[in-house]
Amino acid sequence: MKRVFHHPPESTTGKHYWRGLGEYSNSPEFRQWLEREFPAGAAELNGNEWSRRDFLKLMSASMALAGVGLTSCRRPELHLVPFTKNVEWTIPGKFLYYATAMPRRNGAIPLIATTVDGRPIKLEGNPLHPASRGATDTFTQASILDLYDPTRSKRFVRDGKTSKREDFEAYVRELRNKLVADHGDGLAFLVEETNSPTRERLRGELEKNLPGMRWCVYEPFLSQGTSAAAQTAFGVGARAIPRFDRADIILALDSDFLDCGQGDLASVRAFTSRRRVSTPKDSMNRLYVVENRFTLTGAVADHRLRCPASQIAAITHALAAKILAGTNDSALGSVMGSIQGPAAFGGHTFDEQWITGLANDLMAKPGASLVLAGSSQPVAVQLLAYAINAALKNLGQTLVVRQVPRNPRTIDISQLAADINDGRIKQLFILGGDPVYNAPRGLAQDKQKGLPLDWAELQKRVPEIVRLGYHEDATSKLSQWHVPAAHYLESWGDALTADGDYLSIQPMILPIFGGLSEIELLNELLGGPKIEGPELIQETFRSTNPSGDFQTAWSRFLHDGFAAHVQPRDQTSSFSANAGVPQNSWTSSPAPTPDLPEIVLTASYSMDDGRYANNGWLQELPDPITKLTWDNGALISPAYAKKLGVLTGDLVEITINEKSAVGQPVKRELVIAALVSPGHADSSISIPLGYGRKMPEFDGLPYAGAALKERPGIAEQSGFNGYFLRTAANPYFVAAGAKGIESVQVTKIGRTYPFSITQEQFSIEGRGLVREATLEGYRANNEFAKKIPGEDELPHPPPSIYTHPPLKAPQQWGMSIDLNVCTGCSACVIACQAENNVPVVGKLQVSHGRIMHWLRIDRYYASRKPYNQDRGEWPENPEIVHQPMPCQHCENAPCETVCPVNATVHSEDGLNVMAYNRCIGTRFCSNNCPYKVRRFNFFDYNQRPVGKRKIVGAFNIYEEYFAPLTTKGAPDTIKMQKNPNVTVRMRGVMEKCTFCVQRIEEAKIAALARAGASPETRIPRDSFTTACAQACPTEAIVFGDIKDPESHVSKMKQQDRNYRILDYLNVVPRVSYLARIRNPNPKMPDAENIGVASLQEKLPE
Amino acid sequence: MANFFPRWTNWIPIKLVICGIIAVGGLTAATWYYATPKYTKIGYEPIQPVPFPHDIHVTQLGMDCRYCHSFVEMAAQSNVPNTQTCMNCHTQVQKDNPKLEPVRASWKTGNPVEWVWIYRTVDYVYYNHAAHVNRGISCFSCHGPVNHMSTVYLAKPHSMAWCLECHRHPENFLRPDDQVFNLDWKPDDVKPADFVAKYGQPLDAREDLSKKKKLSQTEIGQTLKEHWNINPPTNCQGCHR
Repeated sequence: MKRVFHHPPESTTGKHYWRGLGEYSNSPEFRQWLEREFPAGAAELNGNEWSRRDFLKLMSASMALAGVGLTSCRRPELHLVPFTKNVEWTIPGKFLYYATAMPRRNGAIPLIATTVDGRPIKLEGNPLHPASRGATDTFTQASILDLYDPTRSKRFVRDGKTSKREDFEAYVRELRNKLVADHGDGLAFLVEETNSPTRERLRGELEKNLPGMRWCVYEPFLSQGTSAAAQTAFGVGARAIPRFDRADIILALDSDFLDCGQGDLASVRAFTSRRRVSTPKDSMNRLYVVENRFTLTGAVADHRLRCPASQIAAITHALAAKILAGTNDSALGSVMGSIQGPAAFGGHTFDEQWITGLANDLMAKPGASLVLAGSSQPVAVQLLAYAINAALKNLGQTLVVRQVPRNPRTIDISQLAADINDGRIKQLFILGGDPVYNAPRGLAQDKQKGLPLDWAELQKRVPEIVRLGYHEDATSKLSQWHVPAAHYLESWGDALTADGDYLSIQPMILPIFGGLSEIELLNELLGGPKIEGPELIQETFRSTNPSGDFQTAWSRFLHDGFAAHVQPRDQTSSFSANAGVPQNSWTSSPAPTPDLPEIVLTASYSMDDGRYANNGWLQELPDPITKLTWDNGALISPAYAKKLGVLTGDLVEITINEKSAVGQPVKRELVIAALVSPGHADSSISIPLGYGRKMPEFDGLPYAGAALKERPGIAEQSGFNGYFLRTAANPYFVAAGAKGIESVQVTKIGRTYPFSITQEQFSIEGRGLVREATLEGYRANNEFAKKIPGEDELPHPPPSIYTHPPLKAPQQWGMSIDLNVCTGCSACVIACQAENNVPVVGKLQVSHGRIMHWLRIDRYYASRKPYNQDRGEWPENPEIVHQPMPCQHCENAPCETVCPVNATVHSEDGLNVMAYNRCIGTRFCSNNCPYKVRRFNFFDYNQRPVGKRKIVGAFNIYEEYFAPLTTKGAPDTIKMQKNPNVTVRMRGVMEKCTFCVQRIEEAKIAALARAGASPETRIPRDSFTTACAQACPTEAIVFGDIKDPESHVSKMKQQDRNYRILDYLNVVPRVSYLARIRNPNPKMPDAENIGVASLQEKLPE
Repeated sequence: MANFFPRWTNWIPIKLVICGIIAVGGLTAATWYYATPKYTKIGYEPIQPVPFPHDIHVTQLGMDCRYCHSFVEMAAQSNVPNTQTCMNCHTQVQKDNPKLEPVRASWKTGNPVEWVWIYRTVDYVYYNHAAHVNRGISCFSCHGPVNHMSTVYLAKPHSMAWCLECHRHPENFLRPDDQVFNLDWKPDDVKPADFVAKYGQPLDAREDLSKKKKLSQTEIGQTLKEHWNINPPTNCQGCHR
């Protein structure tokens, strides 16, 4: 029997939460989408020839035929294969944990790798180290899949032909002799930033032997500006590190510091530690954000100002002027003096009151405020931000300075390009990266024709190139040698964290496809002895002077994952008074207009700079803001979209005309689909980079990397390559009037492109799912989250018709999610996918609403009611609330009452469990689930190729529809990643979040084994947690025993912000949420619209 | 009107009914018996690369189960011994026995011996040895009298119903913790006075068990169940994840 749910009527005033523009305008498509149990095509057969009856006839006939032969009745003979000799530490079936680290451009992340039978299967943060405290981010979680990528490079290639490692070694030996004779002239390295002290050491040795060599570090998103500004402000080698835990007022100018993907988990944690409000007496920090597009930081902001990226400089200047007037700081004055007058402004008009309010708030908290400028902003803006911090006495308080060793001989890619263009480079080593794909365009100028040259052209001019790469990609194609690179989980290494702590990287597995690591390659080039193990790292470690016996210290280094004796210290530092803005670094672009918009190029939350392009988990991870999967799009504001006459999915052509030496402007073009994004600045277009490696069905259009068609694997059909618009002169944003730019045009080309957006799937109508208030509102009424208006008038909750077994187990599991500290970063989603063998379904299936994530993050836009339902009148500056949504594990679970085969039942410890082998796939349970958290495996996603296309005659059909005629079975390497403790589900089976039942059971069994012949079988308090809770960088998700009043989760649930969603249905969910609190400044002009109590019936007029 | 049908045809309906009952009943009975793991699985005795005689090693030589199955108390799987474990003794004993050739070859080449898997549970069942042997369930309960087998055969059905039989009534199978690896143990071996002194007796016992001459399995099991707080799961999550 299906239960009839009664919901309170939606109030017409108060706050409106909406998931997408379709819902906002209540469009018919959205209504239809909403009212179906599973979206499009999920539940019926299409076409007229086939009736349901015909289908059943055929099915029964084929079943009868299948029975005739009674094949496969023999018992298959399987074998038990023990080791020949014991392997140290190995117990078959038991996990082993090792400390290691993931190198990243902004500093490594310390990790604990879980290995089983010699295969790493899961990564967790290292709880001993402050850079992680057990947390991870999306990229770390997903990097385990990269290790097992079946399309990664497996062979040595010389001039396009398969070669051998021995041949390469012989080549390097020969090359070394030649190089030593030339003192390294003509030798260059192009590397990525890995923060590895051993690599730096080997480089130093190479430079000693080969003094003429060049060393270039290129990372698309490692801004030279940041370090240049810090060095100008605080002296050579300085790096400024924010200390969010000490800051009360924070201003982020285009700075997405809460993007965990940047790897600075310590900062994210420090920031959110000041937003935990457990009683009305607690205080919290206040965040102001000025940005052009919604970022994760903007979603958390208390006050957010939409501003084109090119106008941030002007805002910073205006703010600095106000702070200078208030503080009379001389250093700030001298920096302001070096900027060429008010003419530098772009003529953008800002809300004067907003800036005044902000400046006053900052000045009210000297020493406890913090101003951050994003790394994409020019040096001048960053320098100005440092000067403001100095004026506000924040140095040494909220902004500390550390000395970071830097090799002054490092050059950037423009200098390397110039050297290549001059013919000075004879031999190039490209270690990692994919410069043909992601190097800026127009790096140098052709000497004869005067036209700008791209990296691909330059690379052809180098006689010999050795490329160490993870894939055989476009860069490899233009190299003489391609050498397969080892994954970081396959090689010895070391790295520094963002704060400068020294971490060890130890291999979890031998290189699966025989790859080399960077340091191995450098060692060969140095002519060092052949290394088998950690010799090179040990040598570096020895130079840090560990105390005591070396072997003990080394073992400890590997065991803990970091060297405690290497402690970087903050240096006392003051803003150098004579720091002036370097000449020409102050860009003064005019404010963008609809006819001359600005183009902003950003890192993607899923692909980063494109390095994860072949990672299915990340491709399918909905963008935290746009909820777009498998693609990127040109983000534009609703108002600007209306002006251009485009809707989401319309292809537009973006043309940038550059001035050039030859007179005719150089055109840079990109065709990209528009994605209307509320909260975006007008006349501004954001394009996340990292997408667009191959798109066969759009051949002929100038986008998506025609040159990169060869890129294998998953990346074949995803997104648009924004690097086509990225130049060395304007790497982060392009606006008319900026360096060398004549004009920027956007035109609609009249074709559409299918996006797979999850934002409007599985929608739940406004029923108090997210609840929020301002800090003041919370202090006035600390029980605000308990009930929603109209809840009491509902018919009495219907009694449950199904009696679950008594919840008599001594420990009862539950979860609490604090919406106040959830940033929506999605690390939990990928952690869940890695832990629970959740399959990837492909772009088409996502668009049909069949995404399999057990844990989704709902993103709600919030704006004030009443609103105009007429299409086109969008709220200009909505807020965003993120809400992670796992299975709620209802005690009176509606799904259980409708299962005809008892495949989903309740356990004694309060879990709503799924027995996959019982499920017959009726999907009644999903139909009856009020939270829409159940997922159905429509195709054999774990066994069949998904997202690949097959051409049959005139049709281009996705391969999954051909099952069982397609190949069956996952690649062996993908199987190696699977968690052996979780069933790999097959087609036709319902699945959902299990609260990581495998971890609960393992903990129980461990307690039993420990108890032995004694009655003490309790699992120790908070001794384990679920994958999502473990990964969460902000500890927003807490899991544990709710029967134990002292457990962490019970303490969270005792807070007065605690509420359960759809509580009035009497389903008694085990997951509860802590309401969100915002902390607006009452003196700001937009204060009354922010964090309005979502449940308040009437707002002050 | 003449009789078209002879007299005997009057019996046809009743015969048909009887035949039907026999056929249906027989089919049911046959399925009941032949199509369950009790029939299809028990007695499975594949040819192993080396016909390892458990009876000689355990009963004659007195080796403990855990000498070879060394991680049974720690891990989910009870490991099959490495070649190294075999060679600990067989470098000295039975050095030239031709039956041991595969083991010696494995030791020489480093390739493992491939034992045929007998006790195989399906992939969606997560059985854990450590949780059982540490809590008074003997090897015997699931594997039968392995110590008397010259080659191992499958002795118990290992069906879900069979698992639940014990999970619902563990008292019928529990034994003192020091007798878990003694496969010849009988309830009669227990000395009631010593047993009660060590483990006590059930709360609802009607008499003083220590005074009895012999203890039944149920009495022993019930005592241990209460003393150790044995509470085996009977919901899905206990075995399916």
